[in-house]
Amino acid sequence: MKRRTFLKITGIGALSVAAGCNTRPDKALFSLVEAPDDMVTGKASWYASTCRECPAGCGILAKNREGRVIKVEGHPYHPINKGALCMRGQASVQAVYHPDRIKTPMLKEKDSFKAISFDQAQLILRVKTAAAANKGSNKVHMMTELVGENLLAIFSDTMNIWKSHPPVVFEPFAYESLKMANHKVFGLEGLVSYRMDQADLLVSFGADFLETWLSPVEYARKFKAMHAVGNGTKGAFVHVSPFQTMTGANADLWLSCKPGQESTVAFGLIHEVLASDGQKAIPENLKRELAQATLEFTPEKVIEIAGVSLENYRKLVQRILDAKHPLILATAAGSSGPASHAADIAANYLNVLLDPDLSLMDFNRRHRVEMASSRKDVHDFFNGLKNRQGDVLLLNNVNPVYALPPEIGAREVLNSENHFVITFSNFMDDTTACADLVFPTSHALESWDEYSGVTGIVSALQPAMGSLTPTWDIGDVFLMAADSVERTAENYKDYLFQQMISKEILKNDLDWLHMIQRGGIFDTLKSDETYKYSAREISAEAIKSAAVILKQQLDEPENLLIAVPSVRFFDGRSANRPWLCEAPDPLTQVAWQTPVMIHPDTLAQYNLTQRDPVRLETRSGVITALAYETENVRPGVLIMSIGQGHEGFGRYADNIGLNPLKLIPGTIDAHTGGPVFSGSVSISKNGKPQKIANTDGSRFQYDRKIALTISLSELAHKSHKDPAHGEKAGLTMWDFPMTLPLPEGYDKKRDFYPPHDHEDYRWAMVVDLDRCIGCGACAVACYAENNVGIVGLKGILEQREMSWLMIQRYLDLQQPEKVIFLPMLCQHCDNAPCESVCPVYAPHHSKEGLNNQIYNRCIGTRFCSQNCPYKVRRFNWFTWKWPNPLNLQLNPDVTVRSKGVMEKCSFCIQRIKVAHGNAKDEKREIRDGEIMPACLQTCPTGVFTFGNLMDKNSKVRQMVDDPRAYQILGYLNTKPAVIYLKKVLQEI
Amino acid sequence: MASDSIFSRIFQKIVANSVPIVSLGLAGVFTLLFLIFFYAPPGSDIGPEQPIPFSHRVHTGVKNIQCEFCHPYAGQSTFPGLPPVEKCLYCHNYIIANHPWIQKEHEYFDTKTPIPWRKVNYLPEHAFFNHQRHIKKEIECEKCHGAVETMDRLKAEPFRMEFCIECHRELKANLDCWLACHN
Repeated sequence: MKRRTFLKITGIGALSVAAGCNTRPDKALFSLVEAPDDMVTGKASWYASTCRECPAGCGILAKNREGRVIKVEGHPYHPINKGALCMRGQASVQAVYHPDRIKTPMLKEKDSFKAISFDQAQLILRVKTAAAANKGSNKVHMMTELVGENLLAIFSDTMNIWKSHPPVVFEPFAYESLKMANHKVFGLEGLVSYRMDQADLLVSFGADFLETWLSPVEYARKFKAMHAVGNGTKGAFVHVSPFQTMTGANADLWLSCKPGQESTVAFGLIHEVLASDGQKAIPENLKRELAQATLEFTPEKVIEIAGVSLENYRKLVQRILDAKHPLILATAAGSSGPASHAADIAANYLNVLLDPDLSLMDFNRRHRVEMASSRKDVHDFFNGLKNRQGDVLLLNNVNPVYALPPEIGAREVLNSENHFVITFSNFMDDTTACADLVFPTSHALESWDEYSGVTGIVSALQPAMGSLTPTWDIGDVFLMAADSVERTAENYKDYLFQQMISKEILKNDLDWLHMIQRGGIFDTLKSDETYKYSAREISAEAIKSAAVILKQQLDEPENLLIAVPSVRFFDGRSANRPWLCEAPDPLTQVAWQTPVMIHPDTLAQYNLTQRDPVRLETRSGVITALAYETENVRPGVLIMSIGQGHEGFGRYADNIGLNPLKLIPGTIDAHTGGPVFSGSVSISKNGKPQKIANTDGSRFQYDRKIALTISLSELAHKSHKDPAHGEKAGLTMWDFPMTLPLPEGYDKKRDFYPPHDHEDYRWAMVVDLDRCIGCGACAVACYAENNVGIVGLKGILEQREMSWLMIQRYLDLQQPEKVIFLPMLCQHCDNAPCESVCPVYAPHHSKEGLNNQIYNRCIGTRFCSQNCPYKVRRFNWFTWKWPNPLNLQLNPDVTVRSKGVMEKCSFCIQRIKVAHGNAKDEKREIRDGEIMPACLQTCPTGVFTFGNLMDKNSKVRQMVDDPRAYQILGYLNTKPAVIYLKKVLQEI
Repeated sequence: MASDSIFSRIFQKIVANSVPIVSLGLAGVFTLLFLIFFYAPPGSDIGPEQPIPFSHRVHTGVKNIQCEFCHPYAGQSTFPGLPPVEKCLYCHNYIIANHPWIQKEHEYFDTKTPIPWRKVNYLPEHAFFNHQRHIKKEIECEKCHGAVETMDRLKAEPFRMEFCIECHRELKANLDCWLACHN
């Protein structure tokens, strides 16, 4: 281009821009046609409902602003989660606004889908199913995810009208082994809940109860109720497993055993417990038979077979014998093979021996996931279809093509021309792509329903917003799907009401309204339904069968790949929520990718190093994963997370990460009907080292004052405070005194800048590291609340992640199995290094002590980030995108930042302002505990405390005097307002 | 002769340089037009035209209807709220019910279509104004919105930071960046 042409074009361009613009962009304000009762523009309405991201069924409150749900929080009065929510629950709102959500039903024509109307889809459903039913019985087949009892009843009734079997309930983790163990030992084929909070010792044979096992939010809370330090003691937790995931990383002792040999350890423990005296009310013959079955499991034998350290094993035995209320937990949700069944049986017997009343097991609060069909039934479902013709398959929100091993051939069955496949799914995924008709239904946040995660409660679902698309509730679809004898209900909501009336849960309309308002009825257990249990009735038959299983154990396989569910993706159903992909894995700190965790010895054996692509091959398939070197797994064990590696699950999940289930054989355990989540793999190097998208700078702290620990005995002798106030104070890292971010923290010998004056409030936060389990719910809640951008894999690789709060993970340099998690956020220093270097005063110190980032002043020099010792400031390298309609989730109370601007944690200033407003309205001070930042609100274990440091009676002020209190890198004299309490370690 | 030659020479110069001079002139004209369109686009003195001509003068000035009747949330929320279509019809089912514009109003109501009112007052996205707090402090609506009761078409107030700060200084109100307006 010539210079002249260039000038012409720019001139014309400038003029046309000038002519077409003024200072005020045209915008429309849309008035409502009719004002709803429950909406005030600018104020949130909260709707109580139930989370449906996993079978646990936590209660939620959905925050609706101007007609759309912008955030989901735990329901404070719900008995399961008591206000907390995990990261998957937080991310449920992203499913509603997902840009890849299917908007209309689609019919497959040749190889592509054609959009059709909902009425047409309903008609096809009716015609196809009626035609199939006319041909004979069992011509319609249905597979559903776990749903509430009423919805399941509709499914079954409708299937009955079509002369077919009730649906198969497919949950990839159906706890077959534990269910069967409960059946054999207690005569109850179900999943009991555990009063973990009342135990003083937990021994888990792999149960990952902080991540996915049964009800992770509930058990995380209960775990910390027993495990957090209080009155100078804390409960103990021993994890017996070949590897550590997040749950194992929280153990006081990780007893590393060979894969599948948890059962041997459990048998050994029975042997030891029986050998010790003082066995209470156990029938003699039960004792005798248990002793008989475990006779050969002497410590020496256990050490030899299970490969555990003798010292640690002895410690565990001693601890169990000393404990007053020990509780033994079973194997993991994704358990590995027949041996896990033996371990589950042995764990049950251990509980009987240690506490004959089984007071820590609640047989009346049973987890609903016990309703799930066994994996054998799921495999039979597909195997049975292989030789049939002209049947109709209905799939409700399940993804068998992804979750089942390839050799089962789910994809082939669904793709074949023999059957007409209808999926009720909101997203195109591995399974939906095989469907003949895709019938999207309302999301849980848009529908009426009931789902009770445990028996004894009724937990309600209500639409927390109007639908963005004209979808129907699946209940309505099924009510209208078949010509039934007589339908009493017009729609599914009425049906629910009628059912609850007939079951005498409700008496009238008013009860219904109360139930909807409160999110459910939480005490529906009738006393005549309670299950009575007695140790006297227990037979020793099961231990014999378990002993047989143990004897059949084959030789240990070389290089066993174990696929484990993770706190981020569970079974993979939520892999397309960008927040979950962006939040790093707790233990590896890797986002977006699925690395394979390998022990350094195994890596060395195959001449591999960290970041090398490793080719993993089994009979079933091949994948190439990046090696992640870690001592948190045993040599010869390879760990990969389940959940990623989908084919066609939208822009945030399609071909992102890897699916280890592709490598797993389709074996079914003969004893339980459960699947196997492990398989022997052959390993080889496959290419040059690649970048791993990890967000941690280092795994170790190198003796710097970051995440500190204190031993229980040390704590007992420590009277008060760090090398604090006055005595022995110096200016080095370890003797620098605790300096509160208050005028009293000013020392003219040390300070260059004058003290800040605060008006009434000085906000501060106390973070109790002893309570943090590293689950990352806080980090995702922060993304949801504060419109934090998603940078994607490329962004993470370039270290451009935007998280305002991150969970840092540090390993002990000498003992890498000792892991500490640390929530790191802006410390709101009183002497903030960022404030003093900004040329334009964009970081501004507020009169309430907050470090404000003024986005519109910021010119992007990034000096502040450079000078921040905590590295919590985030720079917007780009204007991050929220593709339509994901932008509808954005919190309207928080500015969306754009390119070139620095940002960081604001202590949820928008919530502080709301509290100020409420206090002013009521002419009072802000109450202690009134302000709940998003991280604090969602934390299942109560890590965070927020409040006013100027108030001598506030909780934060009191906690500052805790002997465990310290400030991270306090010796830099930054005077942080985030005070940490040291994690308390104990020797087992 | 001399003067003649001077004039003719100037004239010749002008003719010879007519292209740059005309371009300069045009540039000036365009700049002027830009400034006019940018700062005072046509109609800006009387405010934007609305889909249904609504006179604030008639409603507040003549009929003396309180602001909070139509903007009911001003005292309880950050946003004052706009009247729903049904609220207009509370009265207009009886008053000038057959006026063509009221018929249009009915059309919106019957078809359940929200009315796309043109936004008059504009605040940048990084500034958060809380109506409730100001109403509770008994700041009159006119203090910021001007004499609404005299305007047929509502005229925009140029809300700039200075506008807020002056008043906040004067009344010793919150001057903190985040605690007051931004977050």
